[in-house]
Amino acid sequence: MTDFLQTVVLGTLLGGVYALMGSGLTLLFGVMRIVNLAHAIFMIVAAYIAFYAFELFHIDPLVSVLITMPAMFLLGLAVYLPLFPRIEATPRYVEMTVLVTFALTLIVEGVLGFLFTNLVRGAKPGYTTDALLAGGIYIPVGQLLALGMSVLLLVGLWLFLKYTRIGTAIRATMQNRTSAQIVGVNIRRISAISFGLGMALAGASGSLMSYLFVFYPGQHWRWVALLLALIVLGGLGSLKGAVIGAISLSIISSFVTRWLGPDWSSLTFYLALFIILMVRPQGLFGKTMRI
Amino acid sequence: MPLLEVDSVVAGYGAGPPILTGISVDVDAERSYCIIGPNGAGKSTLLKVVCGILRPRAGEVRLNGSRVSGMRPDQLLAQGICFVPQDQSLFAEMTVRENLTMGAFLVKERAVVNERMARVFEMFPVLQERSGQLAGRLSGGEQRMVALGRALMMDPTLLMIDEPSLGLAPMVADQIFTTIRGFRALGITVILVEQNCQRGLEATDWGIVLDLGAKRFEGPAAGILDDPRIRELYLGSMCRRDVE
Repeated sequence: MTDFLQTVVLGTLLGGVYALMGSGLTLLFGVMRIVNLAHAIFMIVAAYIAFYAFELFHIDPLVSVLITMPAMFLLGLAVYLPLFPRIEATPRYVEMTVLVTFALTLIVEGVLGFLFTNLVRGAKPGYTTDALLAGGIYIPVGQLLALGMSVLLLVGLWLFLKYTRIGTAIRATMQNRTSAQIVGVNIRRISAISFGLGMALAGASGSLMSYLFVFYPGQHWRWVALLLALIVLGGLGSLKGAVIGAISLSIISSFVTRWLGPDWSSLTFYLALFIILMVRPQGLFGKTMRI
Repeated sequence: MPLLEVDSVVAGYGAGPPILTGISVDVDAERSYCIIGPNGAGKSTLLKVVCGILRPRAGEVRLNGSRVSGMRPDQLLAQGICFVPQDQSLFAEMTVRENLTMGAFLVKERAVVNERMARVFEMFPVLQERSGQLAGRLSGGEQRMVALGRALMMDPTLLMIDEPSLGLAPMVADQIFTTIRGFRALGITVILVEQNCQRGLEATDWGIVLDLGAKRFEGPAAGILDDPRIRELYLGSMCRRDVE
């Protein structure tokens, strides 16, 4: 029983972080129908920022979200504005976004490899090796803090979308792009802001990644596959779906790790992706976001 | 001076052929209009150009004499040009109240929004009852009322409505047309696009016949359906008079 609970706890801790990682990806798809294959490489960019902030200036990776989020927001605008508005009118927009973000991914991966080499990195703040013991269940402190940060940011995102003017405009654009335009939402502006927001979420994810996992430039392929699996499970464009998809897949993979060994855990996500696409291609929560 | 002038506008979608092929239409503030014509004549496209969703390739649109074509939809809305698209134009996963509030997205004063919402509820009492329900769950007629109510939240001077009766039962459609006729009293100039010519022309003063992307005829709404040439040339079987 303890063993069972332990596995669930470990899965949930990581699931919250996966949810944060997936939220930016699903937001971009929901608002703009951009399939952002570059999401994970930008998480790695942020992980490098957090890593060097820790190594050089002793800034805690959790605190570094204050740097990575605004930095990635601005980088997001710098990437979005020259590239995406001009392909918006093409009839094959969604396919184009896959190609554009794929190209972007290769460029960024190359640049990262050039700048930081392909050595495996990982920040090591003191708490990464600490653990709490509660009722026989062992809780790694680093993962608990990461979960706390993820919950905080996801709740913040939810409140922003639900109660602010820009957030309402983002939700309206996700639900009906034409109608958002006719009630006076400037969808160009909203698209740019959403892209920045998605990138800021990738930034926060990168800060957490910098100490939870080891990373190197080429590793983003593994991450983007995992993130696509969980947002497809939840339903592309559904924030609630991303959270539920992330936590359930993470718990399942935690059991797979426990029973079959860690080598099999990433297989969980790819297998899930196949099964979801065969059984329920629209995912658990369809294509629009309900709050 | 006309309220709105559409001057030799050419427009189409993406890289496709032009749908509007040099159309010119004048709209007077004192009249209400019904645009009729066969499928593919460019009726909806004309409305999309005027409200700014679609940019014209050539020609221009003027509002009160100054050029407005090329402006964004939100800028045109701020000048009082409002568009109600065909069905499924609501934010399906927002409540009725949220949909109406979205209609006044450009209005920053809470008091004004509340006052306009009260007016919409007065006009459509059923929406007040449904105000907490998700818009996607309402009946077709109620959804159309939300769409019209949402448009009224902007306090438009020019209201363009695409196919208000589409998919509605005849009795519900009558109710919608009665409401639209009442917009005149609010000082709103209405332009309808309607497949059901009979009903559309009855609800308006002036008819405009479109075919192949240009205006072919215009005149008092009452006489259009009696003109055998127009029926023969442009409307064909699509515009049967209702037989009792």
